[in-house]
Amino acid sequence: MDLLTLFCTATASILAFGLYWFVCILGSAEQKGKAATQLSGGSIAREKVQDKFKQYWTFFRRPKEIETAEKVPAFVDTFYNLVTDIYEWGWGQSFHFSPSIPGKSHRDATRLHEEMAVGLLNVGPGKRILDAGCGVGGPMRAIASHSGANVVGITINEYQVKRARMHNKKAGLDKLCEVVCGNFLQMPFEDDSFDGAYSIEATCHAPKLEDVYSEIYRVLKPGSLYVSYEWVTTEAYNPESPDHVEIIQGIERGDALPGLRSFKNIAETAKKVGFEVISEKDLASPPAQPWWSRLKMGRIAYWRNHIVVTCLAWLGIAPKGVVDVHEMLFVTADYLTRGGETGIFTPMYMILCRKPESKL
Amino acid sequence: MRLITHNMLSSNIKGVTNGFPLRIQVEKVVEKEVDFNPDFLRNMFAKIEWKALTEASKTLGYADLPEETEPLMLESEEFLRKLHHALLELHLEEGALVCPETGRKFPVNKGIPNMLLHEDEV
Repeated sequence: MDLLTLFCTATASILAFGLYWFVCILGSAEQKGKAATQLSGGSIAREKVQDKFKQYWTFFRRPKEIETAEKVPAFVDTFYNLVTDIYEWGWGQSFHFSPSIPGKSHRDATRLHEEMAVGLLNVGPGKRILDAGCGVGGPMRAIASHSGANVVGITINEYQVKRARMHNKKAGLDKLCEVVCGNFLQMPFEDDSFDGAYSIEATCHAPKLEDVYSEIYRVLKPGSLYVSYEWVTTEAYNPESPDHVEIIQGIERGDALPGLRSFKNIAETAKKVGFEVISEKDLASPPAQPWWSRLKMGRIAYWRNHIVVTCLAWLGIAPKGVVDVHEMLFVTADYLTRGGETGIFTPMYMILCRKPESKL
Repeated sequence: MRLITHNMLSSNIKGVTNGFPLRIQVEKVVEKEVDFNPDFLRNMFAKIEWKALTEASKTLGYADLPEETEPLMLESEEFLRKLHHALLELHLEEGALVCPETGRKFPVNKGIPNMLLHEDEV
């Protein structure tokens, strides 16, 4: 082979490999995690994905004006059918934010954030704790392996339960972790059955926070603790400012939220259902590093993923609606970033509560 | 769904006063081996509703659990192995959980119990 041919072959190979690396390896949030070619609409049949997406988008147009609160759970379920695969592929198995930590990877920062939650609950082997709104179980696995406690997760989305159980089994944690498909507003558990409970950025889907807090209160044993990371508007939020309102509505619409609450509402709701509030804190406040930097850094990644998803849909590998969903998430990521930068929104307002001991 | 989970699930349909324990309708049971961990079992034991476990275990085809228990049994490896098998190794893959009061069936598919209520049950 002459030198020119050799040179061309080498360059082509390097470019091909580089492209493969950029698209397929960097595309996935986790090695051996969800691949782009496996993107689906969750439990929604392929042909119906685009329609379901349109229905979802119409319903959440005016979150504060949602009269039919009873329909919200079904739409939250639809939302997670649409986004679960994309989240797993592009973000990872923990569907929540974490303060970024200089020198630590996103995975490590996420894990530390999750372990801190369960550290507050002070539970160990033989204790049984509830994960209200467990997604595909990223936090559950970190928490079970860190503390040795038994974790029972509940999620309204059947597709997520399948994914969670598969991941639990793969991680060898299916003895410590169990997942049930149910609505956290009507939990299929007896009163006083858990030694602790946590919810990470999940209660925001309840139309009324009181309804989910009272259920958690009911199933906790007296004397047990509950920690929640809430999505709320902060002190800096001004409902008179059109910009602020636009950002918050953008976040609500793209995340299946019936209406973001103010940080002021959290403790008062907890007390209303009977909890003692031990502490509350916005974990995003300084000296914590920005949680939204991960979204910002992901801009190139979004464009790459957008191209990948569009090609896969065109080839008929991914269902058609997946492109719309991915775009929605991209737009929403922008609102979330603005919410973080302006300081009007935080996804990690932490509240730690106790169910009082019984007065027998 | 393992019996350790069944032991804590109850029917929360509106108006139902005693939704525990759920009866089991079996279509497919699978046995999956799990590492034996006596400490874990001893810790879990206190939380278990024993009668519900023995009934459920019989329904799934395993009748070796004693009807009554006493604390000394936790020292017996033989007992712990039986407990281990019933609690962690028997899986209801397909079937249903039935509300003891209303008879309403909560389906179990691929091992996942779907406890979502219909609109009129809330």
